Amino acid sequence: MNHIVRLLNISRRQWMWMTAGIVLGVVVIAANTLLMALSGWFIASMAVSGSSGVAFNYFFPSAGIRFLAIARTVGRYLERLVSHEATFRILAELRVWLFKRFVPLAPACLERFAGGDVAGRLRADVDALETLYLKIVAPLAVGAISIAAALLFLVWFSPPSAAVLLLFLVLAGVGLPLLVRRFSEEPGRHSAALAAELRNKVTEGLQGVEELILLGAVERQAATVDGLSAGLIAEQERLGRINGLLLGGMSILAGSGVAAVLVTGSMQVASHQIPAPDLVMLLLFSAAVFEAAGQLPSALHLLPAARESAARIFELADAPLPVPDTPVPTLAPTGNEICFRHVSAAYLPGTPVLRNISLTVPAGGSVVLTGSSGVGKSLLIEILLRFRAYEGSVTVGGVEIRDLTRETLIDMIAAVPQRPHLFNASIRDNILLGNATAGEEQLRQALRDSGLDSWVAGLPLGLETPVGINGSAVSGGEARRIALARALLKDAPILLLDEPTEGLDSATEREVVSRLKERFGGAAGTTLLVVSHRPACLALGDSVTRLECA
Amino acid sequence: MTDQSAESIDNNAQPDTGAEQWLIAEARTIRWLVLGVICLAVAIGVLIVFQARLLASACQRVVMQGEGVASILPLAAILVMLATGRCLCTWLMENRSAAAAARVKQAVRSRLYRKIQSLGSAGLAGAEAGPLIETVTKGVDELEPYLTRFLPQLSLAAILPFMFLAVIVPAEWRAGLVLLFSAPCIPLFMILIGRGSEQLHRRQWHRLSRMAGHLMDLVQGLPDLIIFGAAKTEAIAVARVSEEYRSATMAVLRVAFLSAFTLEFFATVGTALVAVIIGFRLLLGGLSLGEGLFVLLMAPEFYLPLRNLGLSYHARMQGVAAAERIAPLLARPLPEGFAGSLLPQAGPPSVVFEGVTFRYGGTRGGVSGLDLELPAGSATALVGESGAGKTTLARLLVGLARPAAGRILINGQDLNLLAPHAWRSQLAWVPQTPYFFSGTVRENLILGRPDATGSEIDVALKTAAADLFIRHLPQGLDTVLGDRGAGLSGGELRRLALARAYLCHATMIVLDEPTAGLDPENEQLVCAALDKLAHGRTVLIISHREQTLSCAGRVAEMIDGRIDRVCSPLDFLTPGEASP
Repeated sequence: MNHIVRLLNISRRQWMWMTAGIVLGVVVIAANTLLMALSGWFIASMAVSGSSGVAFNYFFPSAGIRFLAIARTVGRYLERLVSHEATFRILAELRVWLFKRFVPLAPACLERFAGGDVAGRLRADVDALETLYLKIVAPLAVGAISIAAALLFLVWFSPPSAAVLLLFLVLAGVGLPLLVRRFSEEPGRHSAALAAELRNKVTEGLQGVEELILLGAVERQAATVDGLSAGLIAEQERLGRINGLLLGGMSILAGSGVAAVLVTGSMQVASHQIPAPDLVMLLLFSAAVFEAAGQLPSALHLLPAARESAARIFELADAPLPVPDTPVPTLAPTGNEICFRHVSAAYLPGTPVLRNISLTVPAGGSVVLTGSSGVGKSLLIEILLRFRAYEGSVTVGGVEIRDLTRETLIDMIAAVPQRPHLFNASIRDNILLGNATAGEEQLRQALRDSGLDSWVAGLPLGLETPVGINGSAVSGGEARRIALARALLKDAPILLLDEPTEGLDSATEREVVSRLKERFGGAAGTTLLVVSHRPACLALGDSVTRLECA
Repeated sequence: MTDQSAESIDNNAQPDTGAEQWLIAEARTIRWLVLGVICLAVAIGVLIVFQARLLASACQRVVMQGEGVASILPLAAILVMLATGRCLCTWLMENRSAAAAARVKQAVRSRLYRKIQSLGSAGLAGAEAGPLIETVTKGVDELEPYLTRFLPQLSLAAILPFMFLAVIVPAEWRAGLVLLFSAPCIPLFMILIGRGSEQLHRRQWHRLSRMAGHLMDLVQGLPDLIIFGAAKTEAIAVARVSEEYRSATMAVLRVAFLSAFTLEFFATVGTALVAVIIGFRLLLGGLSLGEGLFVLLMAPEFYLPLRNLGLSYHARMQGVAAAERIAPLLARPLPEGFAGSLLPQAGPPSVVFEGVTFRYGGTRGGVSGLDLELPAGSATALVGESGAGKTTLARLLVGLARPAAGRILINGQDLNLLAPHAWRSQLAWVPQTPYFFSGTVRENLILGRPDATGSEIDVALKTAAADLFIRHLPQGLDTVLGDRGAGLSGGELRRLALARAYLCHATMIVLDEPTAGLDPENEQLVCAALDKLAHGRTVLIISHREQTLSCAGRVAEMIDGRIDRVCSPLDFLTPGEASP
């Protein structure tokens, strides 16, 4: 329940929309029940008047019927619009909140969850919470308020009927839902978990389809997906059956409730405690109130699944930060020297990759780091980007990077990471990510220095060529050079390159290396740290350091 | 019956009739279940008539005839029994609905997923994974409301009002007349309004998919966004996309709710009119309270099936929108040539490319008129600039793509005529970026050979020089690989993929940059492994690396989608190719 409250709290800026939706909901139910009650009373009074000959002022009741009919119809339309508006506003708030929470967690805390699942969870669970306000919070509030108001109204006319109706309404609005909730808790939980797992397996199965085809494992993987799908559908079917129980229970309670009011009402009519036409009003009013109570159970029915989604969202969002952000920014770095002193670090806790490493890249200098794969070269780069926790000391410009805010640090650094990501946009947009305000000349320069110029010039769409999802429309070498151009465009005082020439043929590689040397050679002032084991890249450094296995 | 009435509503929306016809065809497989649901709903309707009749006559007795509680009690008891009957029918109805939906969803998802997989990289090249995943998971679920709500409601809207009218007219024909004439307005307005919202709704799905893809892209690229300080601006983009989604959805809903509004309006006005007519008939003494009340109670019930149909119209649009994504995928023909049945000969194959041409959409270099021979048992290195078509050639060879022109001969047999499974069982392929599934290292290794023994795995790991780092993992082979194999370096993942390929008893091995990202020592290890692997097999290695070239017997150089020359590694490396 805490999760739900917390979710509402995140979107508290939308409280006006939320409240308006609930108020309109109550208005609609009030209009509907009063319409039925008034109609019943009106025709019963007309009948009594017709048979007894006593005059009856039918002007006000019939005007009331017209007014309530319009209030109900217009109110319903407005209520739907407002409650959906509130829902989507809440959803937008939630998405943004979540994305912002993810930013400091990437990449160390997100890779524990499988690739499709992070985005999948984000979307499917956030979508599942679409139902939170619309189908859970609002109906519960509207139902509770309307039932309380209806009972107060009824007590005024017929206390015994109110007492009987209270009993049936409590059974229908609270007893039945609790029962149904107990039944649906488990399938609700299972179906949310199975849906996430299915999405995960489908994502893998489609992204890794070539491997599966060539390893002859397609059919086996598809059978796994079938199994998950069958499991999910079985749980959904179970939920459907439970829903049937709920609807059935509602109709038996509503029918019996009206029958009970018939008995108490006729007793009161017989003892002349209420005028006879009031009986008809009581009956129609009671029947309508059950319609209002009808939305309570389905709201409670959905609660477990929503809670499950909320719990998973918070599990992801509350993962501890790999490198906690510093509360008070201390000193500003002076210069751009990089210095590792006795640094140890690991990807996974318990398996140290770097042990007691010391390394200095002087300001404006360049160092190429080599060493066998898995020795932790890329980890050093990720430490500098504040992506990973470390022991020992890492300073940039003389300030410990733990004591710098991420913003300050990132402002000083441009990088080509080990696996750069290309966004599903044009080549230009992907490069401009490095510096959105870069001019045409800077862009051309970056293209030239990353050896992309002739390739781009040969493309029919040039810089506007889309790179596809995950860069699927360009080759690995092209993707890496786009990432390099992006880093060059940022023009930061420190440049970190992780295998900048991987996937390039030797001719292109030589060209890129010589352009980079030209750009950073001499008195450019950029501190350059290159991780590579390609011989051609060694030329990029003033010195070469070899990292040995931990 | 259902088909016909569906079309009468549908005749304005040509673009999706195909999708809806497909959906209705799928529903045929569950027609008996749907028929059961309809029968149960009609039974509930009969019970409703009795309930109303009973309640009205009880009121007549108490209000008009002044009868006491004693004569009311039996009526109340029967009311409770009728309610029990409704309860039973409702429960059974939901049961049948859920079962019907389950059957269709399972069948469709299973077929759809397999179809997308077999279309695979060839048929869907360039298609985003996000929307496809969305279609297989959520899209299939969204067929349910169409099947369980819309289809039965459609029939009920045609049956129940007439049934109710048949009992109302004898009691008070004037009220019946009001109902009869107000009712046709409802479908009329629904169609008018539905036409507009239909198109909006279709665009809606498109937007939803785009939003899914956008978010996935951003989350996967978060590290890059952080490096370039763009996470903040992208958070604004998330807000903008969500906001666009909201306003677009609200535009759809404003119209969609308008049809519900129309329905409610007619139903409410109709009921109010009936109440007034009955009131005056009662005042004039032409009608008994029992009869009048019965008609008043039945008036909302008369409109209810139509209102339910109106509400389920949204379910229909959702279902049709989902079907529009699913049906074309299922109808898509599989690329030609995947249905051969010849079995390749045992032993290392000889491969001949004869004038093979293949082009991607146009942005990427394919191959054109390519000729190349790979003698049985040879090891050939394929070199060339990025984009020269090396990977395309490899993909053609392993059957992930089919030549648009020319042919590939395996031991003299056309690859198109070979049984895909048989050819693939002879193949091992290590792509440029091997894909790893979430699961343990072991599970990923034995993907192609679930029956591999522990010692076979050990041998494979040793051969690929992957045994050492695996041993250093906290749980060894049982370590779980996370997102895209995180936790292992690029070189380590490559060697794992090599071990995976080695485990398959392949006679033809295709390696795309097997040593890229490896340091010289590891490259040497892998080259030694390749030497062992190459023995008695036909091998094709795409590589730029000089050391890797030297472990191949011959080098084929590609320029612009053609083989420029085939020579020995020594000849290739000598002219001015001095390594630093």
